[in-house]
Amino acid sequence: MSGRRDREARRDERLEEEQQAGAAERRQRMVKLASAGAFLALVVVAVLIVVSSGNSSGGDSSNIVEAKEVDELLAGIPQKGMVLGTPGAKVAVLEFGDLQCPVCKGYSEEVLPQVIENRVRSGEATLDFRNFTIIGPQSKPAGAAALAAGEQGRGWNFVELFYRNQGSEDSGYADDAFLTAIAKAAGVPDLAKWNQARESPAALSRVEATSAEAENLGFTGTPSFALEGPGANGTEAIGTPESVGALESAIENAGK
Amino acid sequence: MKAPAEGTLRGIGTFLATFGLGVATYIAIADSGGGSPVCIAGGHGCQTVAESSYSHLAGVNIAIFGIAGYVVLLACALLRGDAFRLTAFVVSLIGFGYSLYLTYLELFTIDAICQWCVASAVLMTLLFVTNAVRMLAYVGTEP
Repeated sequence: MSGRRDREARRDERLEEEQQAGAAERRQRMVKLASAGAFLALVVVAVLIVVSSGNSSGGDSSNIVEAKEVDELLAGIPQKGMVLGTPGAKVAVLEFGDLQCPVCKGYSEEVLPQVIENRVRSGEATLDFRNFTIIGPQSKPAGAAALAAGEQGRGWNFVELFYRNQGSEDSGYADDAFLTAIAKAAGVPDLAKWNQARESPAALSRVEATSAEAENLGFTGTPSFALEGPGANGTEAIGTPESVGALESAIENAGK
Repeated sequence: MKAPAEGTLRGIGTFLATFGLGVATYIAIADSGGGSPVCIAGGHGCQTVAESSYSHLAGVNIAIFGIAGYVVLLACALLRGDAFRLTAFVVSLIGFGYSLYLTYLELFTIDAICQWCVASAVLMTLLFVTNAVRMLAYVGTEP
């Protein structure tokens, strides 16, 4: 009798051990599956982010971005017309740009913020945006819209915000809705007045006049720069300085 | 630390997924009429976010994807077994990761906060935590 009980006990023990081993193996398998699932989930999130960020390729009037950054960049610096900086500064930096130009956008984001901070905010130089419309038919109305914003003291906000929201080159995005969205986000106080000014023949002829001025200075592309100051040779064309340092040293020389 | 009973975790999951489903459905309905959700605390944050290009993915309002996600999570909370533990974990991880990205966009790109989107992000985060605990503590055990 006792031998039979022992055999049964040993069998129960073995069965329990087998069950435990089976459960552990099953759990290990499921944990591996969960790890693969987690990896898959992260891949799906990455794909969703890539697809979603493709939504914002610029030129979208319903999604104007970086208004706060532009406000911070220009806060406290006087603006009159398209001139940014303290009136009477030693050096005037003239930027000839086309709002639809992607190189200007790059320059505006990578070079100008430091120059504004180091040279314009300090009162050493002013920055004067002048239209040189070379990209396409929407460049002129866009330039006129910037001038109209300048009449209300928001010209540089308009230009900087336009660049930060620029769409694909000459793709037709710079329509009335886009320009209006930029003007609103740039803080143009009187939109009715702005609309009237941008559509006036005077604004368009000013755009044409500065484009002709750029050609007379020998410029063929945008952005192109010229300097005025005690050390400059009249309105001295300097082309497109390739770095913050190059533009700043040109400003220093023009101020001497 | 001992994990809560699986029944408790499933109950929490059911509660959170039901709430999330309500929030996502409200956002989708508000958007479908060409409008936007109304921020209860006032302000234009909900409108700004709803009008941004990020509110749609491949032309579909992301609230629709939210509804689909919450429905799956609700079903997984109600059902027993490893398949549902794993599915809930993976789906809530996707929801949590994408919610993080959307919250980042609201704070640093769109510059506006939509309370409904934040509510959904919080619910999705809690669902992820709940389902991660459920999966780690109970996967491979008997249902």
